[in-house]
Amino acid sequence: MKTPRSGPSSNQKDETAFQGIWSGTISFSLVAIPVQLVSAVRTGRVSFRMLHGKDYSPLAREMSCPEEEKIVPPDEIVRGYEIGPDKYIVITDKELESLSPERSRTIEIIEFIDMKEVDLIYYDYPYYLVPSKGGEKAYRLLVEVLRRTNKAGLAKFVLRDREYLVAVKSMEGALALITLHYSEEILPHEDIAPKKEEIEPEEKSRMQKTIKKMIADFDPEKYADERRKRILDLLKKKAKEKAPVEAPEIEEEGEGPADLVAALEESMRKMKRNR
Amino acid sequence: MSRKVVDIAGKRLSLSNLEKDLYPSFGFTKAHILEYYRRIAKFILPHLKDRALTLKRYPEGVEKDFFFEKRCPSHRPVWVKTAEVRHDEGEKMTVCLVNDLETLIWVENLASLELHVPLARAASPETPDSMVFDLDPGDQANILNCARVALILRDLLSHLHLTSYVKTSGKKGLHLYVPLNRKETTFEDTKKFSKAVAEIMQKNYPDLVTAKMTKEYRKAKVFINWSQNDSSKTMICVYSLRAREKPIVSFPLAWKELENLAGRDDPQKLQVLHSEAVSRAEKKGDLFREVVVKEQRLPHL
Repeated sequence: MKTPRSGPSSNQKDETAFQGIWSGTISFSLVAIPVQLVSAVRTGRVSFRMLHGKDYSPLAREMSCPEEEKIVPPDEIVRGYEIGPDKYIVITDKELESLSPERSRTIEIIEFIDMKEVDLIYYDYPYYLVPSKGGEKAYRLLVEVLRRTNKAGLAKFVLRDREYLVAVKSMEGALALITLHYSEEILPHEDIAPKKEEIEPEEKSRMQKTIKKMIADFDPEKYADERRKRILDLLKKKAKEKAPVEAPEIEEEGEGPADLVAALEESMRKMKRNR
Repeated sequence: MSRKVVDIAGKRLSLSNLEKDLYPSFGFTKAHILEYYRRIAKFILPHLKDRALTLKRYPEGVEKDFFFEKRCPSHRPVWVKTAEVRHDEGEKMTVCLVNDLETLIWVENLASLELHVPLARAASPETPDSMVFDLDPGDQANILNCARVALILRDLLSHLHLTSYVKTSGKKGLHLYVPLNRKETTFEDTKKFSKAVAEIMQKNYPDLVTAKMTKEYRKAKVFINWSQNDSSKTMICVYSLRAREKPIVSFPLAWKELENLAGRDDPQKLQVLHSEAVSRAEKKGDLFREVVVKEQRLPHL
């Protein structure tokens, strides 16, 4: 399997990429390894701010009520679960909160599994685990043993307000954590497979040959998101050609404390007289 | 990768890539950078002490990409002092405190050529030790315009019984510091005060000064950036190198010197190179010493 060349400590230009999302310990039996969780991927999406074309002020999203044709303030907004046309069950933030799992500082490994048994369809989102101070040795040990035995730790783990099923696996000397879908999230595929029909042996061998000719090593670096590249190139070109537009500055109210302004004006008068 | 293990104050440190030229058009290697910071250490350390360092790292040199690092790298040696501070979004993070020579050398070994620190200490993030006026020239102005503005500001502040100190930014501008060193003064105070000062300057010297961030107002003017007086902002530390073509330093100036230079038409005279920085600091001492010591109270607030 190919893995990206750089690990979690590679040179990222933006500081956010370095920041841990969570910190705590990996634990099982008597083992406890302090770690930090960092994202392992940065999505390639180039995001844009929506601006007012007139003066380039950044725009804000607001909820509006088509019934009253007005903007609804946050304290008048509630959540409703739709059970039928125009029928809802209202649920409060408090009720939702009471259902969230308790925040926890551990990634509790329940069992060790063979990663090959986990179909790719279960893979949700990849993270790296970075050893925290004092945990380096135990971290290295776990990496090494997981690599030798080809096993991954299956763990339960609370991140923000959700409990995740995750796999902790070794990856070129580091630990990766992959959140997995719960089985009930996977949609059934039984009906997708077409009904069985006889397949001619020649047809089968012809396709096998074709595929064989196209076999290659997986080399993700051969591929890139072309649209993203073109957008970034265009932005670079435009930035060179013309200075960026700027949003008008929001003036804070008031001129500053009256006493201070008076004292400054007085000093200014004296100063100018002396010059 | 070449490595060299050194012993500083009993701490072992493995230095890497010492021969790597990080200022290629000038010719200034990692070894030169470490040597600069070693010699300037006793002057810069009081200004870094107990402040949350933001590293600005140039692993491939000043002509290549850099990145900011606010969190103290987790692969730090055990003796590096750290503090827990709250990040903008309220999340806690661990930051480096550069309180001694060994940490300074370790940080520089990470090619953090520029050292940026907040105006407040990590233990009291809401109370700045000084108020700052960041003088930034528009594209048709230069450091000499900044010098004129700095001298007027100094006089205005002294009418309010406030002593101020000035340093070069190491780029195009000047930084004027008003030491406070009082627990009572908050960023809210310094922001209010500096904004009022910037606005009165703009009102009285409209051809020379703007208090507005927007670029189109700047042009031939000097922008008095008062908004640096904020707990989330950092300033380049006095005596830090800057990542430009040449290893130029953010360096403190005596007011007399600035008066002399403001009259001459030679902006280059206001740029202090690494070697000059060391020899001047060794001869004259730390001209910025009072910034971390002198106690002053903002009047009329």
